[in-house]
Amino acid sequence: MINIKNLSFHYKKKSPLFNDFSLEVESGRIVGLLGKNGAGKSTLLHLISGLIQPKSGKIKVNGFVPFERNPNYLADIYMVPEEFAFPSISISTYVKAFSPLYPNFDHHKLYDIFSEFELQPSSSLNKLSHGQRKKFLIAFALSTNCKMLVFDEPTNGLDIPSKSQFRKILVSSVTEEQLVIISTHQVKDIDTVIDKVVVIENGSIIYQENIDEITQKLYFDLVPSLTGVEDVLYHEQCPLGQKIIVPATGGNESSIDLELLFNAVINKTI
Amino acid sequence: MNSNKFFSVSRFYQLLRNDILLNHKKYLLTIVGAFIMGFIFIRMQMPNYMYTDTTSFKYNSSSYMSLFIMCLVGLGAFVGSGFSELSSKIKTSNYLLMPASTFEKFLSQFVLRALAGSVIFLVIFWIDAHLARIAALRHMEYSNGQLAGPEKYSYIEKFHYSMLLIKSRYPVVTNWRLFEGIGVILIIFSSGMFLFSVKIFFRKLGLIKTGISLVAAIFLIVVLAVGVSYLFYPETKGFNTANINYFLSNGYTNNDIFLYSIAYLAPLFLLPLGYFKLKEKQL
Repeated sequence: MINIKNLSFHYKKKSPLFNDFSLEVESGRIVGLLGKNGAGKSTLLHLISGLIQPKSGKIKVNGFVPFERNPNYLADIYMVPEEFAFPSISISTYVKAFSPLYPNFDHHKLYDIFSEFELQPSSSLNKLSHGQRKKFLIAFALSTNCKMLVFDEPTNGLDIPSKSQFRKILVSSVTEEQLVIISTHQVKDIDTVIDKVVVIENGSIIYQENIDEITQKLYFDLVPSLTGVEDVLYHEQCPLGQKIIVPATGGNESSIDLELLFNAVINKTI
Repeated sequence: MNSNKFFSVSRFYQLLRNDILLNHKKYLLTIVGAFIMGFIFIRMQMPNYMYTDTTSFKYNSSSYMSLFIMCLVGLGAFVGSGFSELSSKIKTSNYLLMPASTFEKFLSQFVLRALAGSVIFLVIFWIDAHLARIAALRHMEYSNGQLAGPEKYSYIEKFHYSMLLIKSRYPVVTNWRLFEGIGVILIIFSSGMFLFSVKIFFRKLGLIKTGISLVAAIFLIVVLAVGVSYLFYPETKGFNTANINYFLSNGYTNNDIFLYSIAYLAPLFLLPLGYFKLKEKQL
């Protein structure tokens, strides 16, 4: 569980990124953290992980203060960063070196994910492509069974089949005790896996809603033209006509177009 | 207070194992490289000829002492290469998030770099010094080209560590007194600690920046001394310090006490400083 209260943060000699920021997320969720470039997504992930210290306010994750870097907290959080570096060793050596540090590490799960991702344990990490290395890191992260998993742009560099594999593996692997935060620009890659959306802009939450609540409130549709369509909250032109968001009425539910929702939120029409 | 928060034997063991698994090739190469380079360096410093007309020169404890001090620079470089994970933002992030306490991370680097590094250094130096002596004596000639006789064995003395402590012309421990002995060891230890914490303070060009900060620190001490001299001894002129040297009842001079005080106190500050800096380290 994440509990952030009145958080303020700024980098040295920079204007405040977060000011009086509060957020509460319970375990058992996969949260999509969305925002434009520079909105503060990665900084928020670093604050949650304990890599940087808030200037004021409180952050508690699973009862721990992240920046204290209590080893028991660190053993229960795993972060897959957008950019990463590996030592010149094989996958199996890396697993041998790092897995004992995570008490709940599941080697069976790891090798199952390896076979899904077509990764060979004998491969040298630095000889793999960026996408393969990212797949390895995702596999390792999921196998730690940490209560808190943080993914920063996890689908960047993954090919199309790998993206759907990632979604499948993530959904099947995450338990009720875990909390997953995915920060991404590639909103389409995660729209079927998340169950809560948080949009931040200029260090503030401008939208947060559970997916089931969104589908109860909003209806996403594709229409040939806007003629005759009432109460359009947001629309975007596409090759087949207009993608629209309208209020959901009469119990009608649609699947969420996360990109459309994000653009509507950013344009403040929702 | 949960001690597990600060130190756990199993976690510490895993941390050491992790480092060795990741860096064992680097460590092996360093040991082999140090062994070969050390041998070549010491051999080059040893004489190839002995002069029949003079018996005054001998390759003795003073010569070994100079060699030892020069080789300590190599150990300093190795100790200064600790915390290599803090050399870039990405690696720093991985390192800080590794499930171990700051104390365990600090201690593991200390054990691997400073302790193990020093022990291995002492062993390598001892072996290299003996091998270099054997190699030098094997082909030693008189200056006239004749193969040297059995007196060559005393020309280059056999190396042993006690000669650095008690026999040298400029011995490390002049009178083998505990106070001085500990002081000298602590000076070496403090210098090592200064180098050990380099990467925690400076992400890039750590050794160079440490050198600059060391020079700056010495300069500040001198400036302070000059200032104090002007304050208490108004006759001081220019950038000079009033050096009033006097003997204490225990036989030491005030300057001895001053230097040993620094030696004794420095590790008390340098080790915790590195630890707290690592604890507060941010991305």
